[in-house]
Amino acid sequence: MQLETVKFTSSEVAKYPFLKETTAHVQKIGLDVEDFNSPELTKILNRAEERVKAAILDVSVGDRSSDDVKIPDDVEIPSFPVAIIIALATKNSFIKKRYALAEAKQAHSHFQLESKQRLLAIARNFGWNIELNGASQPPSEFILNFADYLRNITHLRDEKWKLINRFLVNGKVYLNHHDVARLLQEEVQRRLEKRLDAKELPPFPRKIMDIAEQLNSLAKEKLGEVEMESFPKVVSQSAFPPCIVALHEAATKGRHLSHVGRFTLTSFLLAVGMPPEKVTEVFKTFSDYNARLTRYQVEHIAGEKGSGTHYTPPSCSTLQTHGVCVNSDGLCRRIRHPLAYYKQKTISAQPTAGRV
Amino acid sequence: MSSRDFVYEKFREFYSSSSFKIPAPVGFSQREFAFLLFKERIMARHKGFASPPLLGSFIRQHVPSDVYYSCAYYETPEAEMDKKGWVGADLVFDIDADHIPTRCNKIHDSWVCSNKSCGFGGKGITPEACPICGGVKFDVKSWPCDVCIDTTRAEVRKLVDMLENDFGFAASEIHTFFSGHRGFHVQIENESIRDLDAMGRREIIDYVSGTGLAVFQKKTRQPKQKTGVKIFKLSDYGWHRRLKNGIRRFLLNATKDDLKEIGVKSRIDVILQNRERILQRCLEENRWDAVKGVGFETWIKIAEHIREVEAAKIDTVVTSDIHRLIRAENTLHGKTGLLKIKFPVSQLDEFDPFSEAVAFKEGTAKVLVSDAPEFRLAGQTFGPFQNKSVELPTAAAILLICKGRAEVVT
Ligand SMILES: [Zn+2]
Ligand SMILES: [Zn+2]
Repeated sequence: MQLETVKFTSSEVAKYPFLKETTAHVQKIGLDVEDFNSPELTKILNRAEERVKAAILDVSVGDRSSDDVKIPDDVEIPSFPVAIIIALATKNSFIKKRYALAEAKQAHSHFQLESKQRLLAIARNFGWNIELNGASQPPSEFILNFADYLRNITHLRDEKWKLINRFLVNGKVYLNHHDVARLLQEEVQRRLEKRLDAKELPPFPRKIMDIAEQLNSLAKEKLGEVEMESFPKVVSQSAFPPCIVALHEAATKGRHLSHVGRFTLTSFLLAVGMPPEKVTEVFKTFSDYNARLTRYQVEHIAGEKGSGTHYTPPSCSTLQTHGVCVNSDGLCRRIRHPLAYYKQKTISAQPTAGRV
Repeated sequence: MSSRDFVYEKFREFYSSSSFKIPAPVGFSQREFAFLLFKERIMARHKGFASPPLLGSFIRQHVPSDVYYSCAYYETPEAEMDKKGWVGADLVFDIDADHIPTRCNKIHDSWVCSNKSCGFGGKGITPEACPICGGVKFDVKSWPCDVCIDTTRAEVRKLVDMLENDFGFAASEIHTFFSGHRGFHVQIENESIRDLDAMGRREIIDYVSGTGLAVFQKKTRQPKQKTGVKIFKLSDYGWHRRLKNGIRRFLLNATKDDLKEIGVKSRIDVILQNRERILQRCLEENRWDAVKGVGFETWIKIAEHIREVEAAKIDTVVTSDIHRLIRAENTLHGKTGLLKIKFPVSQLDEFDPFSEAVAFKEGTAKVLVSDAPEFRLAGQTFGPFQNKSVELPTAAAILLICKGRAEVVT
């Protein structure tokens, strides 16, 4: 890939603080994390706190201009790495996930408005092998290497994202502006989640710890609501969709499951909150049961080992193509994902209790 | 001497000879090696070697019936599975007559349920589970023949075409091998795909096997307007191009029976009398309502058939497994005594495994053959045999013994 020297202005870096250039900007400002009492650093710290707080509350990164005063770039830019430090200091996976999503969504709203050239420059900043489509056919604005494409569609469930439904020619996927913006959002989220996944943490300054603590209690309140919105803690078998009932029955009776069937069942049970040990139990009756291998596979899908990716079950249309979809009922017709079925059924069956 | 000892001895001679050499795969010291041991009849796993000569002396010392290495690259290949530190994996495809319906598998393949109280059996492809007792273990008798090879060869041809034209891999990056039994391996070591996870690989699998093509999704089957067939617009790229070319080829050559076979019930004569005009209207002008009475359902049937024809029938489990063990090049297959060997992808059409993969080129052996079909090996034709004592060239004798069809006579 050719290395062009694309320059990003400081207002661009403020908009996209995940760019490589941020490091240089922060160095130029000369941020000393030990000295959070200086007025300049207080501003940065406030803005950083605001970023994470807004992520917890409504999956945004807050408003850059308060009281009609726009926060200057040299506060906005370093507030991003400081926000990451704060999110790390919370050691709270809910906060980390929410924050990564919030930054990615925020970036996406800007990506959609960018020119082709700027979008290209941002994608290349991430190391994507991407070019503008010089030809008029097929009609599209960008061509992207298929491997870069595949890395960023893991969580996109719509059939239009499936590689087979794309124009794939000579290793390149043809994409429009919309598509690239959406894929970049995934890239931002993936990168942030990785940064927030750091295992070895340095001791954090007092001020950071205080903020982290406040955010943790804020998250606790919010998490209660979110959990009510999503799944109850108790796994409710009576709310399983028909395909999962069939797979679960087959598994407990020791009947053979296809690879897709096994994956669907495992990822579904994990997603509704069954602990990995319990999921491993489900497969115990298999004649080809191998405790260590099964545990390994289950944990891999759970995202504890291996690639670190957390898998969700395939959508109904995928299950249909693989012949896993059976006995569909009335509710099936109204949903497009087995988890949506479960959610619908548990919510309608649930009394108001069930909070943790 | 038992048959087993005879085969062991021949394998030992082969691996001790100076002509034996294992080409080192890329990232040699990052690969896990595994061996199926003749004597102990167990799999020795989690081995790592710093250099090919060390691997060579291990093989000479232990004489395994099968040698494998991981498609994966690890930080510590000798460690337990969850401590290896996965860094990447090659993209591997397995195309094997075990999984593809062939004209011949009803003739030379059979299976019997291993469940002693069941014992149900049949001919052809082994089912995933026994239809009587649900067991999943079987005693399988199979045979590699020219029809098996040509059937799998045709699938490799389709796969390679997609890898080159759609995925853009250079012919030099696509390594094609005869598996040593009755199929082929296709392996890509390209760095850009090395770190793809199982989900990314599933997308590649779905692509080459034609799974999830949106043209056939239920949504499009319920056209919004009356002339809903118009949404069936085929471009000249990716799978659309394959469908388009496939539909053209099919319709131009189709007979009445061809159409009946894929489920077209009515107006077959109209279709056949107007092939060119239909193709022009549909494929070029996107007017799928060109023929009265030939509706969306008919086109779906035709397109569904083309998808089936154009898809490469790979073993999907292999490609999505990022830890998979694959047979090492230039080593013997324990079920045939044939070699897994590499050949240039440009020679796919001519490549003849039954002469090129023969390892044992000298001597003869006397064997009692229980039953074997007629077969071809190293330029000679043998059989069919039925309870017959016969002296055969070493390679033929070993093939029969390894396939469980003969015993050594001493
Ligand atoms: Zn049985
Ligand atoms: Zn055959």
